[in-house]
Amino acid sequence: MLGPDVPWYLVISAILFAIGISGVLLRRSPLIVLLSLEIMLNAANLAFVGFSRAFGELDGQIFALAVMAVAASEVCVGLGLIVAMARRNLALDVDRFTELRG
Amino acid sequence: MAVGGWICLLAPLIGFLAIVLAGTRITRRQAGLISTGSVFVGFVGAVYAFIEALGRDPDDRVELTTAWTWFKAGDFEVGLELLIDPLSLVMMLIVTGIGGLIVAYSNGYMEGEDEERRYFAYMAFFVFAMLMLVQGGNLLLLLVGWGLVGLASYLLIGFYHDRRSAVEAAKKAFIVNALGDAIMALGFFLLIFHVNSLDFGVVFDAAESGELSDTVATLAALGLLGGAVAKSAQIPFHTWLPDAMEGPTPVSALIHAATMVTAGVYLICRTSPVFEAAPEVQHLAAILGLVTLLVAGVVALVQWDIKRVIAYSTMSQIGYMFVGAGIGAYGFAMFHLFTHAFFKALLFLTAGVIIHRLDGEQDIRKMGGLRGSMPYTHKTFLIGSLALVGIPIFAGFWSKDAILASALADGGALGWTLYVGGLLGALLTGMYTFRLYFIVFHGKPAEEPHGQDEHAHHGEGSRWMLAPVGVLAFGATFAGLLQIPGVWEPFEKWLEPVVEPLVTPTTAQEWGTSAIAVAIGSIGIFLAWRAFQADRELVPEGAVRRTLEHKLWFDEVYDAVFARPVQAVAVRLRDQVETPVVQGGLDEVADGTLDAAGFAARAQSGLLRTYALAITVAVSILALVFIVVR
Repeated sequence: MLGPDVPWYLVISAILFAIGISGVLLRRSPLIVLLSLEIMLNAANLAFVGFSRAFGELDGQIFALAVMAVAASEVCVGLGLIVAMARRNLALDVDRFTELRG
Repeated sequence: MAVGGWICLLAPLIGFLAIVLAGTRITRRQAGLISTGSVFVGFVGAVYAFIEALGRDPDDRVELTTAWTWFKAGDFEVGLELLIDPLSLVMMLIVTGIGGLIVAYSNGYMEGEDEERRYFAYMAFFVFAMLMLVQGGNLLLLLVGWGLVGLASYLLIGFYHDRRSAVEAAKKAFIVNALGDAIMALGFFLLIFHVNSLDFGVVFDAAESGELSDTVATLAALGLLGGAVAKSAQIPFHTWLPDAMEGPTPVSALIHAATMVTAGVYLICRTSPVFEAAPEVQHLAAILGLVTLLVAGVVALVQWDIKRVIAYSTMSQIGYMFVGAGIGAYGFAMFHLFTHAFFKALLFLTAGVIIHRLDGEQDIRKMGGLRGSMPYTHKTFLIGSLALVGIPIFAGFWSKDAILASALADGGALGWTLYVGGLLGALLTGMYTFRLYFIVFHGKPAEEPHGQDEHAHHGEGSRWMLAPVGVLAFGATFAGLLQIPGVWEPFEKWLEPVVEPLVTPTTAQEWGTSAIAVAIGSIGIFLAWRAFQADRELVPEGAVRRTLEHKLWFDEVYDAVFARPVQAVAVRLRDQVETPVVQGGLDEVADGTLDAAGFAARAQSGLLRTYALAITVAVSILALVFIVVR
């Protein structure tokens, strides 16, 4: 088998996922949060593809494709929302949107 | 026969529904006509069925028609079925015939009352309920009719719902009757448990073949007797009947003559095989009847309300019927029921004419000398009174004496007690009936109602009122001739295929008893006349009179024994259980829920990142748990 072993891919996937989570949890700009979400999704994709390679089956890769499609549509909706917010001159700060407080 | 039966049953129901659904779109007069018409259509149906039955062989006069299976539970099945046989035909004719006359009379009596439409709807419903009772083809349908009759009587006794006493009387009647219904239902449960059926045939076969053990038969008969006693206002469940006089007078007539109180006698005759399987209970019925007829007779001696005197006389006469049914003279009990329907309806309706004329006055001390101003009423009332006392040729003569003669024929200690007690009752009947008659119609004329009251200026009453009275007076005079001992006895022969009498008096016994009873009744009349001439009361002042005026303290005793303890317990339960525990507990639960919700709501900060953190932490913990547990 060419290239590094599967654990390496998983390690990188985990690191990417952690970076994504930190972004979601720590940043307040919706744009950055969306970006971080993308990173998390791609971390998952990397893990999928890594496992697919390890087991020699294509299931993981198909899943990765599906995740990409989901990610693309998510970005569409998310960016659309952000544009709408910007047009209404709302502050681009996720902490300011607290209307669902109990 | 079935067709006539269904017409008879459904016509009053349709009349009732029509009045209810039409509401104010029909006039009051039309409501009265619909009600009267529907009951008379029922009568035509009953006559049609009767004629058809007459044309058949005596043993072929029973017809059971099933409309559909009403309900099924396992192998227990009850059909919606009617039983048309000689016994129910007699009842159908009485209920619709007499009932129709009373409803027609109401057209005049209730004229100008408020809420006439409601009244007429209830009247039709009452007749329907009673028909359901007598035509029901199994015990369950009988119980349905039984309960509906109680409901209808409640609605009509409490018709003047703005009068507190009327509402209380209605409640009393309903509660006492519900008690009877419950006792009867217990008897039915027992029958279902043991024979798994409420069909008359199945139950009677079981009772006759001895399939029911003695205990079961006794308990079942006691259950039936409990229902019969409550509905027929016999001691100890009689207290509702005098109070039921709060209803309009035609309602009293309907309750006393055509529907309701006769149901108990009908029930005993209908379920005679069960009673015959438990002779002690049947004798108990006779004894209760005897006690009632005597107690009601003496209490009637001191009453001042014209309707109450007649009400007590009903109790007393039903007592005779219970005596008859209790010793197995079913035919005679039914015959007395039949003649009683005529003269009791007549007495109530003439009393209604008087009350109507006097603008609602019911106290006989304020009446008197009405003979002159109301000759027609006087004659008809006299006919009713003579029939009630049992003077020949009037109806009561033939039927009451037949019951007494049966008691004599029965013999033994019980038979003789009933015989002597019954004769004593005849004396009382003569006394209270003619005390009433003399005070109301003779003596110094009472003041006519002054003022231009609207009823006064059409003579004794409207034609609607006087015509039914005339028909009933005719019946009260001649209805007894259907049964002349030794000459012809079509009434008894008619019922014989259904209820075989246990005792049959000889012709000599019948005529001998008649002679004695008439003599005793005449003595009663004579005593009443003497007392009236001397202007004194039949019962002198003193403890005895006070006891009688309080109706032997039955109400007071029941109040002390049942009502007050229950009230005390209820108050205690409210103060010590309901308020602190039930209500307090619910309050606690509600408050606790509110507090908890307020606490939980604090977690919902609305901060997106907090939620994300919570999810992250939770998923991490789950992941850890899975890894560790594996």
